[in-house]
Amino acid sequence: MISGRGIVKTFRQRGDVLGKREVKALRGVDFTIPRGGAISFIGESGCGKTTLGRIIAGLETYDEGELTIDGVAMSSLRPRAQQPHFRRVQLIHQDPYSALNPTRTIHQALHDPLKLRARQLGASSSWMYQRARELLQLVDLDPDHVLARYPHQLSGGMRQRVVIARSLTVDPDVLIADEAVSMIDVSLRLGILSLLRDLRERLGVSLLYITHDVATARYIGADGDMYVIYRGQIIERGPTETVIANPVHPYTQSLLSAIPVLYGMEQPGPEQVKPLNPADAGTDDSGAAAAQAGIDDTGCLFADRCPFRTDRCTAETPVLGLAAPEHQDDVAETGGGRVHACFHPIPRQVAATSVQKT
Amino acid sequence: MTSSSMVDVTTKGPSMRRNFWRGVWRVMKRKPSRLFGALLMALFVFMATIGPMLYSRPLPRDPNNFFASPSLRHPFGTDFQGTDVLSLVVIGSRYVLLTALITAVVTIVLGASIGLFAGYRRGRMDAVLMRITDINLTIPGIPILLVLSTVWQFASPWEMGLVLGLLGWGALARAVRSQTLSLRERGFIEAARGLGLSTPHIVFRELLPPIAPYIAMNLLMSMILAVWAQVGLFFLGVMPVIGENWGVMLNRAVFDFGAMTTAARLPYMLAPLLALMLLTVAIVLVVDAMDEIFNPRLREE
Amino acid sequence: MPLATRSATGGTSDTPGAAGVRIRGLTVVYKTPAGELPAVRDINLELPAGTVTGLVGESGSGKSTLALSLLNAVQPPGRIAAGQVEIDGIGDVVGLRGERLRKVRGGQVGYVFQAAQNSLNPLKTVGKQLLDLGRSHDVDNLRALVAEAKQLLGRMGLDGARVLDSYQHELSGGMRQRVGIMFALVLNAHLVVLDEPTTALDMITQANILEIIRDIHAERGLTTLVITHDIGVVAEVADRLAVMYGGQVVEQGPVRTVLGDPHHPYTRGLIRAIPRLTGGIDEAQALPGRPPNLMTLPTQGCVFRERCPLRMEVCETVDPPRVHLAGRLVACHAMTGPSDVTPTGHEGATR
Repeated sequence: MISGRGIVKTFRQRGDVLGKREVKALRGVDFTIPRGGAISFIGESGCGKTTLGRIIAGLETYDEGELTIDGVAMSSLRPRAQQPHFRRVQLIHQDPYSALNPTRTIHQALHDPLKLRARQLGASSSWMYQRARELLQLVDLDPDHVLARYPHQLSGGMRQRVVIARSLTVDPDVLIADEAVSMIDVSLRLGILSLLRDLRERLGVSLLYITHDVATARYIGADGDMYVIYRGQIIERGPTETVIANPVHPYTQSLLSAIPVLYGMEQPGPEQVKPLNPADAGTDDSGAAAAQAGIDDTGCLFADRCPFRTDRCTAETPVLGLAAPEHQDDVAETGGGRVHACFHPIPRQVAATSVQKT
Repeated sequence: MTSSSMVDVTTKGPSMRRNFWRGVWRVMKRKPSRLFGALLMALFVFMATIGPMLYSRPLPRDPNNFFASPSLRHPFGTDFQGTDVLSLVVIGSRYVLLTALITAVVTIVLGASIGLFAGYRRGRMDAVLMRITDINLTIPGIPILLVLSTVWQFASPWEMGLVLGLLGWGALARAVRSQTLSLRERGFIEAARGLGLSTPHIVFRELLPPIAPYIAMNLLMSMILAVWAQVGLFFLGVMPVIGENWGVMLNRAVFDFGAMTTAARLPYMLAPLLALMLLTVAIVLVVDAMDEIFNPRLREE
Repeated sequence: MPLATRSATGGTSDTPGAAGVRIRGLTVVYKTPAGELPAVRDINLELPAGTVTGLVGESGSGKSTLALSLLNAVQPPGRIAAGQVEIDGIGDVVGLRGERLRKVRGGQVGYVFQAAQNSLNPLKTVGKQLLDLGRSHDVDNLRALVAEAKQLLGRMGLDGARVLDSYQHELSGGMRQRVGIMFALVLNAHLVVLDEPTTALDMITQANILEIIRDIHAERGLTTLVITHDIGVVAEVADRLAVMYGGQVVEQGPVRTVLGDPHHPYTRGLIRAIPRLTGGIDEAQALPGRPPNLMTLPTQGCVFRERCPLRMEVCETVDPPRVHLAGRLVACHAMTGPSDVTPTGHEGATR
C-alpha cells in the first residue's frame, strides 16, 4: 500500500536576475493506493497528475508532505535507502517509442534488470533467460519472435507490451501507467488496457492510472477510486462509477461534458456543463498563467471558470472533504466515500449514455 | 531449466556479435567509396604494423645513387643518402599512426567519459568537470609543445600521442555532454533509473551506445587532426628533427635539400605527402559509414 | 458578420458557397525497396458541398495521404498514380502544376496541418506570417486581410490584435490550433482540410475547438474534411463518416447511421474497442491483430481479412465490392448477402 499526505511540489523556474518564477505543481495532495487496488488520476495537462506519478515512482522529489510505502515513511530514509522501496513502484511511460533504448535488443533490455533481480534471489543465468521468456508470454508476445529484435522492428503496441514486461522484471507491487495508450493505435489500445487489468488480477499488482481520458480510467479501475485533479489540487475523489455518474464538482462536470459523444450510439448527458472561459483564453494555459502571474490563491481555484460561482467561492478556500462545514448533510448525502472541494456541490448528470437499440 | 535453454543462453552472445559484424559488412557494401576507404585503412594498418619488419636495419644506403629518380627498384626514388624513399615512408608510418591512435584513444576516453558523467550527473559534478574542460580548451597547444620539446625529444609516439591527446579532449567532452543532456531526458534512461540499475550501467550500457556513432566519428576525426598536427610540428621544426617519421622527412626535404626548387628531389617530398593524403582520405571515407554502423535501424534495412 | 470584409481580400469570388469534392479511383503509391506500393488504392469518395466529412483511420491507413492528395501535395517518394480529385470551381487537382497549384493551396483549399500547434514560424509574429501569406497570394489589400484575420480570431474567442502581435511560444496549444484554422480560412477558402485538429489538446480545449469548427463551417458555408484517428471527434463534428483501413475506404455514410449500426467488421470492431463512460465495462472488446503497414498490406483481396471475424475464402483473392446498404456504402464480401443488395462497380460507387 502506498499513501501520500499533503504532498506539495513547487517548480522554481530560473527567471531573470531579479525574480524567480514559481509554478505550484502540487498543492497538498492526499491519496492512497490500496494493495492490489486500482486508482486513477484524472485531469488536464499541466494539472500536476504526471508530477505526482513521478513522485510516487521516486523519479521526482517533493517539497512537503509524507509518502509512505508499505508503512515505511520515505522522509525517514536517506535517498539511497529509499531506492529499494521505489523499485517496487514501476512507471510505464506514455511514449513507447522513447522508453526503449534504440541500440539495444529486447533481450538486452530485459536482461539487465533481471540480472539485478537474479542477484537478489540468488538465481542462475538460465533462470534469467527463462524469466524473460515467461514475462514476454505474460504480456502476450512471442518470445522467439521478439527477443532478438531491436525496438524499431516492433509496432507501438508491441513496444508498450515490452515496456510493461520490463517493468515486471523487478516484481513490482505497483504499476503506474501514465497515459499509457495515448500514442498507440486506436484498435490496439484496448488490448494494452485489458493487459493491465489482467496483470492486476493475475499478479495482484496495484495500478495507478494517470490520464485525461475518463472512459479508459473507468475500464481499468471501475472498482477503485477516481481522483480529479485541477491545478495541483484534488477537487473531487470517490468511487469511479459514482464520480462519473454523479459528479458534484463543476470542474469534474465540465471535464465529463467535454468527452465526445458517439452520436448514434450515445446521447449526451442532460445537464452538460461548459466552463465559462475556455482554458486558454489568455496567452498561456490558464493554470500556469495564473500561477505565474502570482494571482492570489485565496478562493476556489476553479472559480474564474466556474459557471456556478458565488461570492463565497472567491472569498474562502474550499478544502477537500470539508467544503461545506455548515452543510454536513450535503457531504453525507452524496456519500459513498466520495469527497469534493466545492461550496455548492450539486450532482449533475453530464456523462453520455448509450442509446437503447431497438 | 532444460539443457536446450542453457544452450540458448550460451549462444546468444556470440550470435549477436556475429549479427553486428554482418551488419557492418552490409553497411560497408552499400557504397564502393566506403570499401575503398576501408581497404586503404587496412593497407596503412598493415604498413604500420608489419611494414617496418620487412626491412633490415640499418636501411641499405647506395652512395652512388643520391636522389635517384623513381624507378622500379625505387618507386619514389632515393634520399640524400641513397636510401629507398618508399622504405622510409613505410617505416615512418608506424610513428605517425601509433601517435594518431594514442591521441585518439586518450581524447575519446577522457572526452567521452568526462562528457558522459558531467551530462548524466549534472549538478556540482557537472560544474567542476566543465570548468576543467574550459581550462583544457583555453590551453594554448603549440606554446606548450614548444616548451615541452626542450625537455622531451618526442622520439617515442607514446609521448607525442599522450601530449596531443591531453591537449585535445576538451571539445569532445563539451559535445558529448550536450548530447548526454538531451538523451538523459529520454524515457529509457528514466526507466533504467526506475528499475534501480547502477549508474555505471546506465552510463556505459544505455547512454554510450546511442552516442557511439558520434564518438566513433570524433575518434577518426581526431586521428586526422593528430596526424596533421604531429607531421606539421616536425615539418616546421618545432620538434627536434630526429627519428623516423613523415614530418621529419618533409622537414629535411624542404629545408635541408630544397625539394621545392630542385625537381630531382621532389619525389622525396611528395612521397610522405601522398601517404598523408591517402590516410586522410581513408579516414574520411570510413567516417561516412559510422552513423549507419552504430544505428541498428540503418544497419539492417 | 464575418462576410463583411470577404471580397476585399481578393479571394476567388467566382465560386460562391461551398465547393464539393469528388475523388475517383485515386491511387497513391510510395516507392520502397520492394517496389512501388499503394498507400491509397482505388478510392472513391465524395465530399458533398456544405458538409463536414470525418475521415477516420489508424496510423498507416492512408488517411493523411488521401488528404494531401486533395492539394496534390503528396511528397516523393510518393506519387499519385491514378485517379482524379475534382473540386468545384478548380477542376481536377491532380492535373494542376506550378503556379496555379500554389495558388489553389492555401487560397481556395485551406489546410490545417497535423501539428498545427507547431507549424508556426517561431521567429516571426503571427501577424508577420499573415502578411507573408497575403503577399505570396497577391492580395492587394493587406489591411483588409488583417481585418479579416482579426475578425476570424475574434469569432474563435481570441483577442485578434493581441494574437497577431504574438510569437508562437506566447500562445497555448488551443490558441495555436485556432491560429492554424484562421490561416486556412483567411484567404476565403471554401474547402478546408483539418488533419488531426485536436490531438495533443485537452478534453475541454478539444470540445471548444470542435465547437468552433462546427460553427465556422456553418457560418462561412464551407466544405470540411476532418481527418482523425478518434471516432469521438468525428461523431461530434461531422455529418458524414468515412472509415479507412489499409488504404481503402471500407465504410462510409451519415455519421449517426454508421455509428448507430456499423456494418463493416472493421468499423464494428473499432467502435467496440472504445471504452465508454456508461454501460457494461466488458462491452468493450479488443480488436485482434494489428493494422497493416505498406509492407504487410495485401495487394489483392480484402485488406482487413487478417483481423476479420467474418473472413471467407473469397476475401483472399477478390477485392470486396462496394455495396449500398441501409444508407451507406460498405466494402465487404460478407455484406453482399442474399439478394436485396445491389453491388456497384467502381464507377457507381460514389453516387
